This record gives sequence, structure tokens and C-alpha cells, in this order.
Amino acid sequence: MSAKHKIQKVLYHLFVIIFGIIMIYPVFWMISGSFKDNAEILRGTLSLVPENLKISNYSTGWKGFAGITFATFFKNSFLITTVATLGTVISSSLVAYALSRVRFRGRKLWFTCMLATMMLPGQVIMIPSFLIWYNLGLSSTYVPLILPYFCGQAFFIYQMMQFMAGIPRELDEAATIDGCSKYSIYSHIILPLLKPSIVTTIIIQFYWKWDDYMGPLLYLSKPQSYTASLAIKLFADSASTTDYGAMFAMSTLSLIPVFLIFLFFNRYLVEGIGTSGLKG
Amino acid sequence: MKKKLISIFLAAGMVLSLAACGNETGGQESSAGSDTGSTQESSAGSEESSAQESSAAPEADGEPVTLRMAWWGSQTRHDITVEVIEMYEKEHPNVKIEYEFFSFDDYFNKLKTLQASDQVWDIFQLGGNFPMYMDKICFMDEFIDSGIVDVSDIPEAYLQITQDIEGNQIGLSNGLNTYGIAYDVDMFNEAEVPLPTENWTWDDYADAAMKIMEKTGHYGSSGLSSSEFIAGCSTYIGQQGKVGEYGFFNLDLTGMGFEDPSMLEGYIQMRADLIKAGASPDAGAEMEITNIENDFLVTGEAGMTWVAVNQFPTIYDICKAEGRTLALAPLPRVTSDGPSGAVIQSSQMLCVSQDSEHKEEAAAFISWFQNSVECNQVLQGERGIPVNNTVRDSLKANLTEGQQIMYDFVDLIGTFEVPEKVNVLSPDGQDQVVDKYRNYIQDVVAGNMTAAEAAQKTYDDAAAIFN
Amino acid sequence: MKSSAQTIRTSKVRKFIYSNNTVGHVFAAPFIFGFICFSLIPILTSFYYAFTDYSLGSKTSEIVGGRNFAMLLTDDIFLQSLGITLKYVFISVPLKLAFALFVAFLLTRKSRLVTLYRSLYYVPSLVGGSVAVALVWKQLFARKGLFNSVLSDAGFSTINWFGDTKLALWPLILMSVWQFGSSMIIFAAGLKEIPTSYYEAAEIDGANGFQKFFRITLPCLSPIVLYNLVMQTISAFMAFTQAFIITQGGPNNSTMMYSLYVYNQAFKYNNMGYACAMSWFMLVVMSAITLIIFKTSKMWVFSEAGE
Repeated sequence: MSAKHKIQKVLYHLFVIIFGIIMIYPVFWMISGSFKDNAEILRGTLSLVPENLKISNYSTGWKGFAGITFATFFKNSFLITTVATLGTVISSSLVAYALSRVRFRGRKLWFTCMLATMMLPGQVIMIPSFLIWYNLGLSSTYVPLILPYFCGQAFFIYQMMQFMAGIPRELDEAATIDGCSKYSIYSHIILPLLKPSIVTTIIIQFYWKWDDYMGPLLYLSKPQSYTASLAIKLFADSASTTDYGAMFAMSTLSLIPVFLIFLFFNRYLVEGIGTSGLKG
Repeated sequence: MKKKLISIFLAAGMVLSLAACGNETGGQESSAGSDTGSTQESSAGSEESSAQESSAAPEADGEPVTLRMAWWGSQTRHDITVEVIEMYEKEHPNVKIEYEFFSFDDYFNKLKTLQASDQVWDIFQLGGNFPMYMDKICFMDEFIDSGIVDVSDIPEAYLQITQDIEGNQIGLSNGLNTYGIAYDVDMFNEAEVPLPTENWTWDDYADAAMKIMEKTGHYGSSGLSSSEFIAGCSTYIGQQGKVGEYGFFNLDLTGMGFEDPSMLEGYIQMRADLIKAGASPDAGAEMEITNIENDFLVTGEAGMTWVAVNQFPTIYDICKAEGRTLALAPLPRVTSDGPSGAVIQSSQMLCVSQDSEHKEEAAAFISWFQNSVECNQVLQGERGIPVNNTVRDSLKANLTEGQQIMYDFVDLIGTFEVPEKVNVLSPDGQDQVVDKYRNYIQDVVAGNMTAAEAAQKTYDDAAAIFN
Repeated sequence: MKSSAQTIRTSKVRKFIYSNNTVGHVFAAPFIFGFICFSLIPILTSFYYAFTDYSLGSKTSEIVGGRNFAMLLTDDIFLQSLGITLKYVFISVPLKLAFALFVAFLLTRKSRLVTLYRSLYYVPSLVGGSVAVALVWKQLFARKGLFNSVLSDAGFSTINWFGDTKLALWPLILMSVWQFGSSMIIFAAGLKEIPTSYYEAAEIDGANGFQKFFRITLPCLSPIVLYNLVMQTISAFMAFTQAFIITQGGPNNSTMMYSLYVYNQAFKYNNMGYACAMSWFMLVVMSAITLIIFKTSKMWVFSEAGE
């Protein structure tokens, strides 16, 4: 039994690792690309070992453009992403609570509106949105990149709603009998139990915002305020030359913050199944 | 009772905190706004500059002027352009230039947004396909007349490449450009094919491509078919009849420049035959080409490719580093004694925006940008061969081998007989025609369509633009 | 002792504050505010454009009635893109979800290594639609790429992935499945919410692994499955990046997904009005499919909260 168990365990780990390596190969390719020269990248060898190690990709990349280094771009990205993620978590949990737990007039309507906001391609609402911000005098500031995130994000509102659906209503009822209002049920019961959902929201939203370049492209007009995602695109100019080495180098660096966020919050998703689950 | 009190308290707290939350967002808004303002004080004024500049900075004083400028390009271009902007600001202390730069595709996404909100940069860069931005371009003629823009050292022919059909000066060109065929000399020799001449024909071209494929196993001719449409298909029309008799579109862009769709047939048939025979990449192989630097010619898997000649020095250097020699030939002709169809074009130009509050200052900068030797010593012809004679001569002193070939090539094309009038614009809607044309070629290759049908359809698509 | 009038007033105020309507609107306020200020106008604008010949850059546009919509039905490329998009959605979504759930379930063991493993599987989703990924993906499926070298080593003939109109969509589908990270994380969070006591009880009853998965895990997870299904379906309909960075819609429009075609019409071919009409047509299609998912979900989703 125990031998069988051990074999099973080994097989499990072996499978997970081999499969994981296959999955991650393209990422390794990108990272190794950041140490290759342009010619080698373009030749498209699938080898992960650079023919001649070219560390200078990192220095040319970091140098950035016109005297603005990637330190600035990363700082901008970090500021926008952190604030927007915070906004998403706060606002989405509030809205999700209303839509999932409170039976108020217009609930269905707002839920439909929320889903509908996801169904129109960004391309067709991009320009009208831009015009709104422009007329508010807020284009070329960070506001259009941040404020909407304080108004809830459909993807996460709905996600939190589904997690709330897993929280037994008896808890609310019990709390109501104890004299809790709808307001305190949110803060005392729902919010603490929503932790896994909030953690996933942080992980995913942080990455999405970090990676977003269309918003920065439209709303930022000073190179000093560009985000890393936008700056990385500057290496690739389809009309002239592309410095792939430097681009891969900066893409690799750009992976680090999102990966660290993931590592940090991932803990909350693995610390044993159900240990912090419902104790109802 | 106590519980109730607590819950009231909590509720009130919740409401308050919600209200505070609302405030917070409001506060965030203003603080985020002021944040950008304080961290980049220089930009604070510019945020609303285009809209409110006139009121904020009284022009009557002739004093401080802020110009907004944008371009697309590579890291090198961004660095050197900012360098010359700083030079200009030093020379003109009252002028402050705020610049933005993007990659090619992003540049146009941004430009379209700015166009929709009437705040296009004072000075902006445009390529060849700009009819949709026409409304936003302030013609430069008045500045030339008033002496703000100096064109005394720019040959008339090079001014024409950025004029519309009525002769309005749309902008000043940043560099000369034309299409050519770049080829690998050794591969031609290996395949025992005669090297291209000044007036080689499409038959020679197809023949060379097939032989290279047979002898070396590589593609005879590679290249993205998006550039192939203008360089090949459209040129093919201009090469028929007498010089200037036909063009793909007519000169004032109100209709087609030829009437018989079968004039396209020979070209389409040749393209399809080459692809079918494996002498030119099929759709799948072509997708592996991301830009000129990994074109099959550069990777050593093809004997020829289409280039806009300003791309030539780059690929020349790459191949030289690997011990291969590239050369440049004019586009093949329909008949060796017929029109070349080749025209000197502008790779890109700088324009003054209609939205600008400081058009004269913007024009003055452009004039300096094109005419100043000092400025162009920094720019080093990175945007193409300069149009100003003195500037061009000053750069000729220290050219790389690849650049030398490019300069000579442009001089050669300049000796070809050209039509009296050339159209430098392409009509709005051409992109869709090109995309469909590329698919028709694939259909011909797959045998779903004959070349004649493809020619007819391409013609109909193009003609439909004008309906 | 309070006066009775006061009591009535406070209780009225209290009643107002605690009424479901007030509470709901207070909590939903951020969304309502954001929707009205930042979403409604663009949405209505795009609806209006759908009936005009608006193009970017032109200051004037004429109302053309239903012409754009009529054009849709005769536009071969649109009809083709509709088919391609549906194929993409119906293949990639189930694959991606099954895969995400499988991996999430695989990685719920109590093992310190699980954190590491999960990072391994999540990283592909962190590179998103970058140029680097586009390049490597092209290389994998290139004529001399990894897939073809494996095939030729194994004695099979190689496949021209991006040259064959029947095959070109598959690399894109695979790429979408490969980036299953966000679904996996959400599943993982859902799995974590299932109380261990359920499993313990099942074990006492002698349930095996499969039974535990189908009797406990899946039902408990069903709201999350529904969520991922709806969201991935919508985002698969909107999928743009893969086709944009890898195939540009080719060969011969065989990977021309609907949102890429919208982009082309709006920005490349400069027919914003038409692009808007297309978007609204697809909005109806998507809503219908979403509605079907919701209606059928009543049969398989178990909500603790009840309806």
C-alpha cells in the first residue's frame, strides 16, 4: 500500500513537472531570447541556449528612449496598476454584493448592463470613450486609466457574485436575527469569506492592467508618463527596425512584478484546502 | 438594544465609509490629476494645451510657444530626433517642443483618436497613405511664400513628391524612397542566372526566380505581398503603353487609371506560377516573415526580395556580417524598352496640423529640420535620403557601403523617364483592395480561380472605391 | 424616553436606510455611476454609428438606415468570420476550461511543491499577447518549427500549419488553451472554498476519487464553472490578439476572427459605421448564447444561496 502510494506520488510529480516544462517552454524561449542577438532570434532557432551570450540587451533596453529609462516606465506602470487593482477590488466587491445578495429594484437590469459592457469590442467604443475624457479635460492624465476601475469591473463583479453564491444564505439570516444590517453583513460576513475571490481578482487584475497598452497609448501623451507595456512596444516598429533582443530583455523584466504578485498571493490559494473554508 | 445600537453604528459607519469611498474616488481623480501635474510639471500646461493654448499663452507677445510633435520609428530614431529637438530649443529659447513617439501601428491608432478630437499634434509625420488625414494637414505654400519655410535648396522634383495633384505642398519630405529588388549576388551566380540589368523584364525576373529555386533549392523571390501590390502589381500597369499613359488609379483619384482588367492578368499569372512552383513563398511561409530583417533574402533562403530602398542599408549590413553580398536592381519592366514605372517617392514627411495654434512656428521647425546641415549631421539620413542638396552632399562624405548603393540607386532611378505628373497619394480604401488581392492570388494558386478572374475581381474591387 | 414622533421619524429613516432598495443602490452605486458616465455614452454612440456611414477622420456622416446591416448579410468575409469565430469559441472554450479545471484539481494536493507547480502553469498566461509570444508561436508551427521537426523525426510528413486554410486556426486555438491561467486560478479559489468536511464525510461513506470529484467537487464548484464558462465564452468571442499578432487573419481569411475584422473595418479600411453594425449584430449573437447558457445552467448549477 505504502509502496503503491509512493509510486503514485512520484508519478504525479513527474507528470506535473514534465507537463509544466512543456507549457513553459515558450516563456523560456523568450527569456533566453533576451540573451541572444537579433540575427539569432530572427533565424528562429528553437534552442534555449544562446550561441553567444549577449547581456548588453538589458543595458540597451533599460536605456529606454530619448533619455527616459525603464525605471520611469516601470514606476508609472506600478503606480497605475496598483491603484487600479485596489479600485477594482473595493468597487467590485461592493457591486457584487448588491447584485448577488440584495433584492433591489433594477437588479436584473444592472446585471444585464454589466454583462453587455463586455460584449462590445473595444475598437468601436474606444473613440467615443476618448472623446468623453477629452471633453472632461482629463485626457493625457492618469485619470481615465484609473477612475473606471473604481466603478467595478464586470469580469470581477460577476466572479465575486458567483463566489457569494457559494456562501450559504443561512449565514445572512442568522446574522440578521442577531441584528446585523445588510451593511454589516457585507463587512462582517461576506467580505471575510470572499478572500479567495479577492485574491484571484488581485492576481488577474494586476496582470491585466500591467499588460494593458491600449489605454496608455490613447491617454498618455508624454513619453515620461508611458507605462512599461507601451514602452516595450516601442522596440518593435514594423516600418523600420526592431530590436528584438532589447525587447525580449524588457519583456522578461516586465514579467517579474506580475510574477511576484502571483507568488505572494498564491499562498492564500494553497494553504490547505478548506482549512479556512466555511465553518458553518 | 445594545446590539441594535451597534448595528446602527455599523450601518452609519458603512454609509459613511461608502460616502468616503465615493469622495475618495473623487479625490483620487483630482489628486491623480495633480500628481501627473506635479511630477511632470512641464506637461501640466500641455495637457490642455491644444484646446486652451490660445487663451493661456497670448500669442500677441510673440513669446513662449509650445509645439507638440510626434513620429514613429525605432529606438535610434527616437534618440536622435529628441537630440535635434533639444538643439532647436536651445537656438529658439521661446519655443518648447513636446514630443511623443510610437511604433508605426500605434502611431496611427493614436493619430486617429486625436483626429477625432481635433487635437492633432502641431508637427506630425505621415507616410504615403494619408488621404484620410487630408483634412488635418495645413498646406505649406503660404509659409513658403512668406519665407518662413525655405525651399531654395530643395530641387523642384523633390518638392513635388509631397504635393497633391493640384500642386499644394502637403509637407516636406524627410527622405527619398523608391522600390527596388534586392538580390543575393552569389545565389544568382550559383544558379548561373545573369544579374539583373537596368531594364530587365518580368520574364527575366520570373526566369531567374525559377532557376534559383531549381539550382539552389531556395526561394527565387521572397517578400511580403502587402508591399508587393504597390511595388509590383500597381507598377505593372504604369509600365504598359507610353510613359504616363496608364496608372493603377487616375491622377486625381476619382477612378481607375486603366480600363482593361486583363492588363493585370499577366502579372497575377506570373505571381501565382512562382508560388505554385515553390519559387516564391506560399501564404504559410510568408507568414513567417515579420519584417524586412527576417525576410527570406536576409536569412539566406531566397535570392531576391522587394524592398523600399531605405530598408536596403540595414539588410545589406546584416548580410555582410554573414559574408554575403546584396545588390539592388530596379523593378523589372513589362518590355525592356518600355516605361520603367519607377518613381521617386517620399518615405515620409513632416506636416503642419490644421489643429495647431502655432502653425508658423511649426512650419519654421520643419524648415529647419529639413535644411539645417547641423541638424542633419545628427539625423544622419536615418529617415531616408534628405531632399536638401547641401544636406545631402554633406552626408555623402561618410556613407556606409549599403547607404552608398542606396544613394547611387536613387540617382539611377532619377535618370529614368518619368511621367509629367505622378500621383503621390493612394485613395482611401486601397488597403481593403490590397487585402482582397492577396487572397485572390492564393485562390489562383489553389486553382479556385483563374488569373483572368482574379484580375477582373481586383479591378472591380478597386473601382468600387469610387462608387 | 423619546417622543413618539421622533421614534416614527427615526424609524422611517431607518426603514429607508435599511430597505433593500437603498442598500442595493448604495452598494451598486460605483457601477451605476461608472456605467452612466463612461460606458453608456460610448455604447449608445456606437449604436448610432451603426446606422451611419461614419468613418474616422470625416467630420460628417450620413444616416444610412439599415444599409450597414443589410451589407453584413452579403459580406462573404463577415459570414466567413462568423463561422470561424463560432468554431473558435466552441472548440477553445471547452478545451480551455477542461484543462484549467484539470490542472487546478491536480494542484490542490497538500504539498509544498504545489505553489511552485502552479506558478509553472500560470506563467504562460503572464506573457499575454506580447510580440515575443507571437514570434515563438510562429516558430513552433513554422515549416521547420518544433512541431514539424517532431513530425518528421517520427516519420510523418510535415504540415504547413499557416499555409493551410483548414489548419491555420488550430495554432490559435492551442494558444488560447495554453493561456488558461486565469481560469485555473479562479477554479483553484473555488476548490479552496469546498469544506474538507464534505470530503471526509464522503470518505467515511467509502467514495472513491472519481465519485468524490463528480459528487462533491463538481457540484460545489458549479457556480464557478458557470462563471468561467460565461466569461470565457464572451472573451473567446472577442478574441483578437492571437489572430492579430500571429496570422493577421490569413491565409485567405481562414483565421479572420470577428473582432479582427471589426478592427480592420474600423481602423484599416476606415468604415467605422460598418464596424459598429457588425459589433451590434454580434452583440445579439453573444447575448443569445449567453442567455442559453444561463437558462440551461438552472439544471446544473447548485447555488447555496438559492434563487
